[in-house]
This record gives sequence, structure tokens and C-alpha cells, in this order.
Amino acid sequence: MCDTIINIVNIVGKEVVRTVVGLIGVFIVVLGNAIMLTWTERKVAGHIQRRIGPKEVGPFGLLQSFADSVKLLGKELLTPANVEKPLYYLAPTLIFVPVLVTFVVIPFDGFLQVKDINTGILVILAFSSLTVLSILIGGWGSDNKYSLIGAVRSVAQNIAYEIPLLLSLLPIIFMANSFSLRDIAEAQRGVWFVVYQPIAFLIFFVASVAETNRTPFDLPEAESELVAGFHTEYSGMRFSLFFLAEYTNMFIVSAIAVTFFLGGYQGPVLPGVVWFFIKTYALVFVLLWFRWTFPRVRFDQLLNFSWKILIPVSFLNLLVTGGILKI
Amino acid sequence: MIFADAIFIIIVLVTLAGALMTVLSGSIIYALMGLVTTMFGIAGLYVYLNAPFLAMMQILIYVGAISVLIAFAIMLIGPLYKRPKEWSYPLKLIAAAVVALFSFFMFAKVMLKAQWAVLSKPFAISTKDIGRLLFDRLTFPFELISLLIVVAIIGAVMLSLYSRGEK
Repeated sequence: MCDTIINIVNIVGKEVVRTVVGLIGVFIVVLGNAIMLTWTERKVAGHIQRRIGPKEVGPFGLLQSFADSVKLLGKELLTPANVEKPLYYLAPTLIFVPVLVTFVVIPFDGFLQVKDINTGILVILAFSSLTVLSILIGGWGSDNKYSLIGAVRSVAQNIAYEIPLLLSLLPIIFMANSFSLRDIAEAQRGVWFVVYQPIAFLIFFVASVAETNRTPFDLPEAESELVAGFHTEYSGMRFSLFFLAEYTNMFIVSAIAVTFFLGGYQGPVLPGVVWFFIKTYALVFVLLWFRWTFPRVRFDQLLNFSWKILIPVSFLNLLVTGGILKI
Repeated sequence: MIFADAIFIIIVLVTLAGALMTVLSGSIIYALMGLVTTMFGIAGLYVYLNAPFLAMMQILIYVGAISVLIAFAIMLIGPLYKRPKEWSYPLKLIAAAVVALFSFFMFAKVMLKAQWAVLSKPFAISTKDIGRLLFDRLTFPFELISLLIVVAIIGAVMLSLYSRGEK
């Protein structure tokens, strides 16, 4: 058995095997994360509102998400009559590309990373723009006023919040002197960057809540005004692909925040990968907590907050960081 | 190097297919999708040329910012996708042909005149080199471009203020 594996590795080459194994691992993490997070979200929501949450299927309702996903798999795929078919079919597939690409560069542990690319963070930021594009063509192709309004809002919001997101990561790149996520995590052996850059951390976190369309900024899918926003017309597995992407994006922004500000996989006693997941899920919990704490903001408040407060503050932060590093 | 050539040809074909879709498709949103495909193709060419930083910048700027802005503008002007493309004006066709031929011959002349050096070692340019080039040797053109962009921004702000009726 062992000989066979070594033979295969020798024939196709180490890098290929590493990539294939890594991608399989990524799929497992994506699916496991989404299944666990739907359960966690409902449990957290329940307890914050003094309810219990799901409890019927399995112990503590743990199997509820499995039951739900089987139900979604079995559902008929309805295609409304007037949709722009190619765009309508393309959108749920396209939203998954950035999710998978992003996972390739995230360092889960010192050597537990699919591939260390020396422009790692740029890969994440570049491909995350595809999310907006897929929301746009999904909302536009649906031929539904709610979808269209949701999509337009999503684009305006993402354009506004992508700038502070980028600007808040730049001071860290200055300090670590590298675009590679592993180098950045390694640079925090002594002190976490959140100590040097508390303002950048806050800006990043606020902007990432907006980028993932989570609650205080969930205008693209505001249930009370827009039915379900851009994915109103999607059902069955197509809907669940959007859903999966949303939960994976929550994990991704938290993982980036952990890598950039909270020391990545570094921590005492426990192995790195355990620390990485503990920190990431702590941040994900904060995101869930936000949802049941803050009311939804108005659209003009949302845009004003980004353009008039976050962007100038992050520019100032960048300027001061650059100045201090140069002296 | 059959494998590398095959990859190169695939990238070029994707880029050209995107460009053709941009020009020929009857609906403006499909034209945009074609443009996005072309931009990804060009990014792929940069990756092929061992310049991953440029490739990522290409996607970040042209797909992430410019295409999304174009899409945003399309959404604001209403549902044009049900209208067929207008080829009605012969003048339009003539103008397009003149511009296309002119640029084709210009590029052809430049490409045929250039001396293509054969590198002994694989070409590589790091992010650091690009930074050095931009902020050290080419500071003046870089600043000029920044000035141009500032002028454009101020102009856009002024135009939007005037159209709202505030003077």
C-alpha cells in the first residue's frame, strides 16, 4: 500500500499530488464549515433570543443541517420563464470560483497550505471581485425587480467597502514586507499585528462584514424589503450554492483577519492548525453575534460611513504607519 | 515544449473569444461578460510570462474595479438586453473599419520592426523590481499619470454637481 503511494508520487510529481490532496481538503473544509455554521447560526440566534434553536434531529439538533441539505438536494430546480438563461445559470457557479481560489493560499499551519504564492493576498483580493460580478449577473439575469435592486445595492456597497478593506491591509504588508500570507503569519512570532494596528483591524473587520453582506450591512438581501435580494428567483441546489458561498466567505474573511492581525496559526501548547480554527471561529462567532445585536443601517448611512469615515481614517493610518516605519 | 505551447494557445483563444464576444454580441451585458473573459485571458498571459504580480493587478483593476463599474452603469440605464444590436448606420461601420485598420497596421508595423531578444535565462520580474521602477526611475511619468487621474476625478465631481443643479 505504502509502496504504491510512493510510486504514484514519483510518477506524477510531488507538487501535483500536493495540489490534488490540498484541493480535496479544501472541499471537505468548505462543506464541513457550511454545515457546521448553519447549525451554529441557528443555535446562536436561538440562545441570544432566549430560545433553544434546533433540537429535534440528532443530539442538540446537530444533524439538522444534514437533513436540510438532503432536502435541498432533492428539490426540483425551478427556472422562471423570463430569466436570461445563460446568466442565470452562470451566477451560482461563478460565485464559487473565488471561494475555492482563496482557500489555496490560506495557511492553516506552518506547512499546511495548498500552495504558498508570493502574491498571496493579491490573489484573494483579485478573485473576491468575482463575487460581486456573480451577484450582479444573477440579480440582473433573474428578471425580477427585487433581485435587480439587491444586485445594484450589492455593487455600490462592495465598491465602497473594498477600498477601506485594501487600505487596512496595506500597513500590515508594509510591516511584514511581503504579500505572502505565510510570511505575514510568520512575522507575528513575537507580537500580533493587532497590537500595532488596532485601527486597521477595526476597519478591516467592519469592511469585511460589509463585503460578506452580513447583518448590519445586509442591504443586498434585506428580507423585510427585498424578499431575498439577488437570489430571490433561485431554488434548490442553485440557492444552496449561494448559501454555501456566503458561509464560506464568512470563514474566509475571519481567516484573513486571523492571519493578518491575530498571529495566524501561532499559539502555545496546541498545534497550529487547532489555534487557527479556534481563532477563526471566535471571529465567526462575533459575526453571528453582530447579526442579532445591530439593526440594519440605512443605505445612505452605509455609503457615507465608508466614504466619509472609513476611507479617510484608513488613509491616515497608512500614512502614519509608513512614516513611522521610514523613521 | 508541446504542453507549454498548448497552454499558450488556449489562453490566446480564450482572450480572442472574449474580445469577439465583446464586439459582436447584441446585448450589452454579454459584451461585458466578454470583456471580463478577455481581461482574465490577459491576466493568464501575464502568468504565462512569469509575472504573477501584474496578472493579479490586471484582475484586481480591470475585473474588480472597471468591469464592475461598467456593470453598475449598465444597471442604471435600464433593460437594453432585449434590443437587437443596431448595425443600421453605414457611417458607423465605415468609421469602425477605418479605426480598426489603422490600429492594425500601426501595431503590425511596430511588431515587425521590434528586435525580439532571446533570453538566456527564464524571464522573471519581482514585485520589488516593479516598485523600484515605478517609484525610482519612472517617478516623473508616474506622478504625471496621478495628476491626470486627479483632474479626471475633479471633472467628474464637477459634472455630477452641475447636473444636480447646484452651482
